[in-house]
This record gives sequence, structure tokens and C-alpha cells, in this order.
Amino acid sequence: MDLFIVSRSHSAAYHPDRRHALWLSTVLICFSLTAPAQQTSQRGDTRAPFSTRATHLLGFANARDNGTGTLSVQGDSLQFQQNGRPGTEVKIASVRDVFLGGESKQVGGLPMTLGKTVAPFGGGRVVSVFAHKKYDTLTLQYVDADQGIHGAIFQLAKGQGELVKSELIARGVTVSSHQDQTTEESATEATRENK
Amino acid sequence: MKTSKCNLSIACLIALVAIVFAVPGQLFGQTAAAESSAGDRTPATRWSVQVDQVESGNVDLAYSFQIAIYENLIVELNKTKQFQQVFRDGDVTVSEARNVLVLKTTAEKYTPGSETRRAVTTVSGATKLTVRSQLLTREGKVVLEHTVNGDVRFFGSNLRATHNLARNIAKTITQSSWSSSGQPTTTVTGQL
Repeated sequence: MDLFIVSRSHSAAYHPDRRHALWLSTVLICFSLTAPAQQTSQRGDTRAPFSTRATHLLGFANARDNGTGTLSVQGDSLQFQQNGRPGTEVKIASVRDVFLGGESKQVGGLPMTLGKTVAPFGGGRVVSVFAHKKYDTLTLQYVDADQGIHGAIFQLAKGQGELVKSELIARGVTVSSHQDQTTEESATEATRENK
Repeated sequence: MKTSKCNLSIACLIALVAIVFAVPGQLFGQTAAAESSAGDRTPATRWSVQVDQVESGNVDLAYSFQIAIYENLIVELNKTKQFQQVFRDGDVTVSEARNVLVLKTTAEKYTPGSETRRAVTTVSGATKLTVRSQLLTREGKVVLEHTVNGDVRFFGSNLRATHNLARNIAKTITQSSWSSSGQPTTTVTGQL
């Protein structure tokens, strides 16, 4: 009898605590379930903008061909801001594919070319052997409002192309199962140049 | 005597004035005739063209080259003013347009070059491109077929070959006999 009373009183005494513990654990489980979702949305919203120097070769919105500027991935758009000109942008959602390539180019542009041409005793040719630099080429395929296909090519410093591509993939761009030609092309070109 | 001299000079003056007024009119007439004959070269029916993406065929052509040819083609075809409208591949508004031709470009040969090699040797390192360019009707009838070359031999980057190629394709279309007839009834084949 005593035992029964003790047991009842014991149960009565500890029942609210149990209930609190149950509530607490339920709330904790709920929090733990919703936490990853919150984390994902935060990542999507506060992803730091990415930008790099690039030369626009052709095809990107209304940007001037062969213009140098800043290529940036901000929010839901890919922007190209040329020096002293208004920027142009393309929605990342409209980008259909991204390709990487590599190319070796002569540095110095037209003035250097002219200088090398007039240099006596073939001095310009000797300069040409050393005056070249390797670049990444980033080729984008995107569609306009009428679903018409556009292509754009950017020239970036070596290694930057891969970063832009990864950034675009992280923001939802799907890349077709093709092989980028960076390594392949560079190797071929290097072989040709060494001949 | 004096009166006859005066009459003669008046007659000369009238003749001069008549010549001055008559000759420009005649010249104007000639110019107009020449313009109308040149205008006859413009097709009676204005066609539009849809540029398809470049197919690499059996050639290992870099994707940047395919895109560069495609984009340069659109620019060069717009420059010719030969077509009423130049549509891109995949454009949904093309279904609303009448008299549309399709331009298909397939790579046939590609010799990758090197800008450095060109700069050092001058005679080697050229980038060469050869494509088969077909202009078809919507029903698939070939109106114009040409093999066109584009290359960069001395100065400029490798991608410049795509610009030269696109310009050559546009030139071929402009100069073709189809272009002057304006009717896609004959098949013109050739090489540039």
C-alpha cells in the first residue's frame, strides 16, 4: 500500500518534467530537421560574388568585341563590365553549356607586332619566341527570350576559366558530358611550337 | 551688222542654256536606268535565313571555333542586307516568318595553327578551316551548296580564321546566281 502511494506520488511529482523533456526533444528534433534547409537557403542567398579580369572576344549580349573588363557572377546573373562602359548581363538560368579551352597568344598587340616587323636582322622573330602567353578561353552557350542560341567567348588568365566554370556549375548551370580542351589543346600546341 | 552680231550672241546664249539644262537631265536619266538595272539584282521575294549551329562532322573542331563561326555568320549575313531577317538556331519566332531558308554549316577540314609559329617563321603555323555550307528550304531542298575556306596565315589570333570563313560564306551567298534570281529553284554548287 505504501509502495502504491509512493509510486503514485512519485509519478505525479515527475510527470511534468517528463512532459517537458518530451517537448524539448520534439522541438530539438524539429530544429535539427529544418536546420539543413536553412543552411542551404543561406548559402544560396549569401554566396559571395565572384569576379575576374577577362577579355570579351565575341558574342556576349551587347558587349564590345575584344574589350577588356571584369567578368563577374553575381546573384542570378553573369555580368561583364567593360572599362568605362555600362555593364551587360545574362541570366545564369539561360546559360545552357560551358566549355573550357586554352590558347597561346602573342603579347603586346598591334604596337608590338609592328615593332617586331621593323626590327632588323630578324630580331622580331627572336622576340616572338618568348613574347607569348597562355590563356584560358571560356565558351558559353546561352539562349535569349525567343530561345535563340547565342555563343560567347571570353579570354581569361590561365587557371581562371576553371574557377568561373565551377562558380557557374555551383549556381545551377548544367554542363554537357564533353571533354574540355584545355589540356589537350595546350599539349598539341606546345608540341607544335617545340618542333 | 551690229544687230546681226547681237542676234548671233543671243542665239549662242540660248543654245548654251538649252545644253546646260538638257545634259543633266539626260545624265539623270542614265543614272536612274543604271540604278534600276542594279535594283533588279535584289530578289523580288525577300527571304529570311535561319543559321543553324555549326556541326563538327568528323573533324575535331574546338567548340570555341564552332561558336565563333556561328556568331560571325550571323554578323556577316546581317551586314550583307541580302535577307529580310537573320534568325538564330532554336528561335521560336521563325515559325511565324514566311520564306525562310536554313543555313547549315559542316566542318570538313581543320588545320590547327599557332600564332607564335606564324610570328616566328611567317610561312608556317597557319590556321585553316574548310566547311561545307548549304542553304536549304524548309522542306530540305538544297538551294546552294559550296565548300568555303577560311584561314589566318600571318597576323592575328587563330579565331580570326572563323571571321574570315564567315565573311567568305556571306560573300558566296551574295554573289551566287540564286541571290540574283531570288527563287530557290536551282541548286548551285561550287567552291570558294
